[in-house]
Amino acid sequence: MFDTDILLQDSQEILGAVPVTLAMAFTIFVLSTIVGSLFALVEYRRIPLLRELVVTYKVVFKGVPMVIVIFLAYFGLPPALQFLFSLVGIDFNAHETPNWVILVIAITGCVAAFQAEIIKGALNAFDTGQSDAAYSLGYTKGQLFRRVLFPQVALTAIPDLTTSMMVIMKALSLGFAIEVVDIFAQSQLTAALNFYYLEAFVIAVVIYMVIAYVVTQIADRLEQSLRVRT
Amino acid sequence: MDVSAMIPELLSALPLTLAITFTALIAGFCLALLATTLRVHRVPVISHLADLYVSYARSVPVVLQLFVAFYGLPLLVVLFGSEDFFSPTIAAMVALSFYHGGYLSEVLRPAYLAVDRGQHDAADSLGYTFRQKITRVVGPQAVHFALPGYGNSVIYLIHNVALVMYIGAADVMATAHLIMERDYNQYQFETYLVLAVIYSVMCLIAWLIVRFFELRSPMQAPEATAKAQIKNALIASA
Repeated sequence: MFDTDILLQDSQEILGAVPVTLAMAFTIFVLSTIVGSLFALVEYRRIPLLRELVVTYKVVFKGVPMVIVIFLAYFGLPPALQFLFSLVGIDFNAHETPNWVILVIAITGCVAAFQAEIIKGALNAFDTGQSDAAYSLGYTKGQLFRRVLFPQVALTAIPDLTTSMMVIMKALSLGFAIEVVDIFAQSQLTAALNFYYLEAFVIAVVIYMVIAYVVTQIADRLEQSLRVRT
Repeated sequence: MDVSAMIPELLSALPLTLAITFTALIAGFCLALLATTLRVHRVPVISHLADLYVSYARSVPVVLQLFVAFYGLPLLVVLFGSEDFFSPTIAAMVALSFYHGGYLSEVLRPAYLAVDRGQHDAADSLGYTFRQKITRVVGPQAVHFALPGYGNSVIYLIHNVALVMYIGAADVMATAHLIMERDYNQYQFETYLVLAVIYSVMCLIAWLIVRFFELRSPMQAPEATAKAQIKNALIASA
């Protein structure tokens, strides 16, 4: 039966995994946004060949479940790295790569495909008349990007980027398959020690929902404060 | 490694995966309709419960939802005084139905709200009942708006069905693990590649079906309408 006495003790243990999870989620978010932006740029500029590669990449990573990508990275990445290092002639044991690095790479690879879509959408929403105006005023490319394009594109992308932050948080829970301890894995470990499974999972559910609520609120505030009032 | 021997064995577990997928599709759709109706109509208290349900389905990892269903449902059933009949498969079906329902509700609600307010008023002024209004005027237009999002949510559902092995349902993933262990874990990478292909094909089929309906939709694509408007404006100004 559901035991309420254990909740406090369990929640302290599970809360201990929150900082690590958030740190990993943030790392993945930054990396995947960078990779996704590059992909979006390739598509926006219509660079031949690279564009086809990006489309193929997106199709592949959207069609395959994330668990399978994580397992593929877990078994495929170390040998691949080892091979690459041996080509360059560096003696490095890639099989000692920590699991969380592999998890971060795998999820970054998956989420980058979605981020590319988001940023492409935001770029398409950008009015080209504005870049014409900026050029006519003598802006350089860097200035155009920094002062006109980036502020608008970033603002348009905020709601979708919040969603992908939550997708990343959820994806990290798959890390328990390759022994990376996040909130979910910690709740499983705690439960396995004292057999109060449902209690531990309910705590994890509450933590995830609170994090989602906080992240959404922060994003809403940010968007409101950044939006140009007309 | 013999891929040709592995594929039939993997495919023998496909019916279970498909059964879970289709149950979740149908039950999830009903749940989504219910949740969307409650959220659009703003019934006090009940609407907030629906909101809570949707945010549960959307912000909690699916693995965790599966585990909560697997450990929580038997408790709930025993509380109401009946036998515990939950096998991992049934628990997976229930959990994924709830997940899909919550996710889909967040597709249907914007689609419903995207239909022009004037359409509601026009239908009301012509004396349509609520049901007629939904089935004849607002529904068909909302379907058009919802289809792309629906396709996405079906693909996410197929991805998440791959997780049911963690609560012990014998689906394609679980079978793959059995095969790998029988080969002393030598061919893990290759087996996962085969799995990746199987899931990609399933997603591709789902996508093609949704795409077929999207193209058949009687309403023009929004871009086409926008282009037509610009063209008309140009003609008018010329």
